[in-house]
Amino acid sequence: MPKALPKKAAVPKADPVLQSLFDVQEATLSNGLKVRLLPNHQTPVVSLYTFFQVGSRNERPGITGISHLFEHMMFNGAKKYGPKMFDRVLESNGGRSNAYTCTDQTVYYEDFASDALEKVLDLESDRMRSLRINDAALSAERQVVMEERRVRVDNDIGGMMDEELGTLVWKAHSYRWPVIGWMKDIENISRQDCEQYFRTYYAPSNAVLYIAGDFEPKQTLALVRRYYGDIPKGPRPEPVLDAEPEQKGERRAELRHPAQSPSLMIAWRGPAARSPDTFVLDLIQYALIKGEGSRLVKKLVYETQLAISVMIDWSWRVDPGAIIAYLELKPDSDPRKVEEALYAELERVAREGLTERELQKAKNNLRADHLRELATNSGRAHALGHYESLLGSWRDGLALPSVYAATTNEQVKQVAAKYFLPERRSVVTLIPSAEGKEMH
Amino acid sequence: MASRATRKKPPATTGVLSLPPVTESTTSSGLKVLAAERGPLPLVTMRLVVRAGSASDPSGKHGLADFTARLLRRGTERMSADELDEAIEFVGASFSVGINEDLVSFFVTTPAEHFPAMIGVLGQMLREPSFPEREVVQARERVLAQFANDLDDPSTVADRTFTRALWGNHPYGHDVGGTAAHVGSFTREDVVRFHSERIGPKVSLLVVVGAVSPRLVAEEAEKAFGGWTSGPEAPLVVPPMPKLASGRVLLVDKPDQTQSQVRMGGPGFFIGHVDYFPSTATNIALGGGFTSRLMNEVRVERGLTYGIHSYFDTMSAGGMFGITTFTQTERTREIIDVTLGEVAKVREGGIPAAELKKSQRYLAGLYPLRTETNESVAAVISDIRVHGLGDDWVEKFRERLLAVKPKQTVEVAGRYLFPKSPFLVVLGKASAVKKQLKGLGPVTVVPASECE
Repeated sequence: MPKALPKKAAVPKADPVLQSLFDVQEATLSNGLKVRLLPNHQTPVVSLYTFFQVGSRNERPGITGISHLFEHMMFNGAKKYGPKMFDRVLESNGGRSNAYTCTDQTVYYEDFASDALEKVLDLESDRMRSLRINDAALSAERQVVMEERRVRVDNDIGGMMDEELGTLVWKAHSYRWPVIGWMKDIENISRQDCEQYFRTYYAPSNAVLYIAGDFEPKQTLALVRRYYGDIPKGPRPEPVLDAEPEQKGERRAELRHPAQSPSLMIAWRGPAARSPDTFVLDLIQYALIKGEGSRLVKKLVYETQLAISVMIDWSWRVDPGAIIAYLELKPDSDPRKVEEALYAELERVAREGLTERELQKAKNNLRADHLRELATNSGRAHALGHYESLLGSWRDGLALPSVYAATTNEQVKQVAAKYFLPERRSVVTLIPSAEGKEMH
Repeated sequence: MASRATRKKPPATTGVLSLPPVTESTTSSGLKVLAAERGPLPLVTMRLVVRAGSASDPSGKHGLADFTARLLRRGTERMSADELDEAIEFVGASFSVGINEDLVSFFVTTPAEHFPAMIGVLGQMLREPSFPEREVVQARERVLAQFANDLDDPSTVADRTFTRALWGNHPYGHDVGGTAAHVGSFTREDVVRFHSERIGPKVSLLVVVGAVSPRLVAEEAEKAFGGWTSGPEAPLVVPPMPKLASGRVLLVDKPDQTQSQVRMGGPGFFIGHVDYFPSTATNIALGGGFTSRLMNEVRVERGLTYGIHSYFDTMSAGGMFGITTFTQTERTREIIDVTLGEVAKVREGGIPAAELKKSQRYLAGLYPLRTETNESVAAVISDIRVHGLGDDWVEKFRERLLAVKPKQTVEVAGRYLFPKSPFLVVLGKASAVKKQLKGLGPVTVVPASECE
């Protein structure tokens, strides 16, 4: 794993403001379930997050999209609370729920009035212990997910491009397919596939609970033990093999679709979340696109006016991920010219680094966003889960402000030079097809 | 800690909920300032609302309020756009603009130690924007290019077409961003005039919430806004609700679609209307939460869609009741029929007691979340003042909601849940959809390219 931090750097210390907000109490049940409690009595509400360490990364061809389809099935009935009961009981107790699936995790969450805490633990533990999958619900949910795919991918230009890009960037790794899965796979996933998935990945030993808000920790831990304590430990999930071969040169694809303007989606293969390079890339991402005065927004949107908008997504992942730029262009923009301008800016960062003021600005903004994220119970619980799932420990997340503060321009140069290379790059260009330019 | 655990607490859905104390002051220029001190995070949020939303766009200049508000950041008498960006962004503050039919709003969040500097920048932008010609031209081009690209987003096109056709020529009948034809005609003079005639201290309110003392807020507000002289004495009066379109279908043709976007709407009521609580409780049961009747019948039972919801959209001079959903092209008629069938059942029978109670507890339990952040506290303080909701709005919200009786749901359902046939917008592949729409009223087909 590359080391970007200078050797003499002190062990990063937790930020004092964050530390005061994070009086976390931890426990692990005998079945392996980890529990993190974060009391705060400002408002009479509680947020509960359940992180399962499973996502499309754990899938294989033929059942792509099962993590996400399965997430939907978790709302369709268990032994004690049957079909449709989960949300009915939760809502009638003053709560709401939702869930999301990504490449590396599947996350369930509830916000609710604080006096509903025991009821929510009862509901959540019931579906972890004894989910019941019936064919009728599976077939209806399959239709719902196919409709979700139509709205997010098949009828959405960004969705189409993202799907194309994934297959360019990864040849072997399961990050290759979209989280929602291929349409044919969604149609064919069976009840047996789902049951197998549940036994392996939804065991308490593959999960962590985060509870934040208005509750008493001691009493709550006793409740968690009562409701979850008897759920049996699961088998150890198969490790995911990262068989991704080395990339030998730039990869390109074109997508022709009715549209008013061309657009560009460009990925560079990046590091895994746990690499120290990750945090340097966080700073670079902020300096490049955070705010109207950031490098790329200023250059591409305001000065040269080549693009309407530019975004860079740098999402941490368990295995090496990708830094993805998305540029929305004008009807008469030439995508090649935009690419050249973008690459020239990135090369400048690799050659000269950022200005000291830009670097300080990125640090200030990362810290401010960090604080904003922590303004709600839900934000605090989610932040803990996100850090623990991707960095291995939530404590590492609390140390981030000091990691950012210690980052130097030398590191910025090294990291930019290492990742923004043509041979790490994949480019998808959307070319408007003839019928897209409709007559007025 | 153990003793606290055993102490009996009031139920969370009815225990006391109140806002932090609010301190009021007025600058010498006449701007009302409300300050609420609130920790523990070292952050401050500012919300400046001006009663000059899209309903105050001049005729032929739809989108001007939004356009002008966004240009304030592109230069003042003392600072260039780059200098403003740097001042705001270097310290980790954020500045954004929001607009609706009634209000244009400016939002700033900042680390607390930079509050004086940031309120100073906000004051400059409102008081003395310079609107450089070059910035006006560039912004116009960007907006026009964005309008073109928006044609590729089916949901956006459906929403805009819907608003326009439903409200017709009423000031609420255009998208807040305007149209390409109007924006294309904007000049620097238009922008300067809109700022000087419509945006000023007498029609604005500043709310500051966070880790800052009310005394400092009042002092800094005077420094920042004391010399603000533009704007009118009173906001424009929005005309009362018109008769909304009804009983017909607008089919927006986008031949590449494999899915139809569906919008339905009819008349509702204005903000602060006495029907608010019974209508809200009724709507949660019909199409609000995850277990609403519409979610159950359309999504869970039939797998027709990923999302469906119904809503009351309330504005100062009127409002609407609407439903938003989508489905695969072949099942467009089915989703419309199932949806209208569920609406009809509630219209005829209201919401029975047990179901009503579930909706009330759902919303009452979650209501405290609306006082969880500086931003949401600032929003509710501003709504209370701007729309005259009463200072006990937050305190009494859950009590009023829980007091709604089944009989009241029958009344409001009869009044708002499409007693007359709704107006429909369907966006999709017209060649496959049109034949499915027989019997829903006259159908007009328009190409998506004309719905900019």
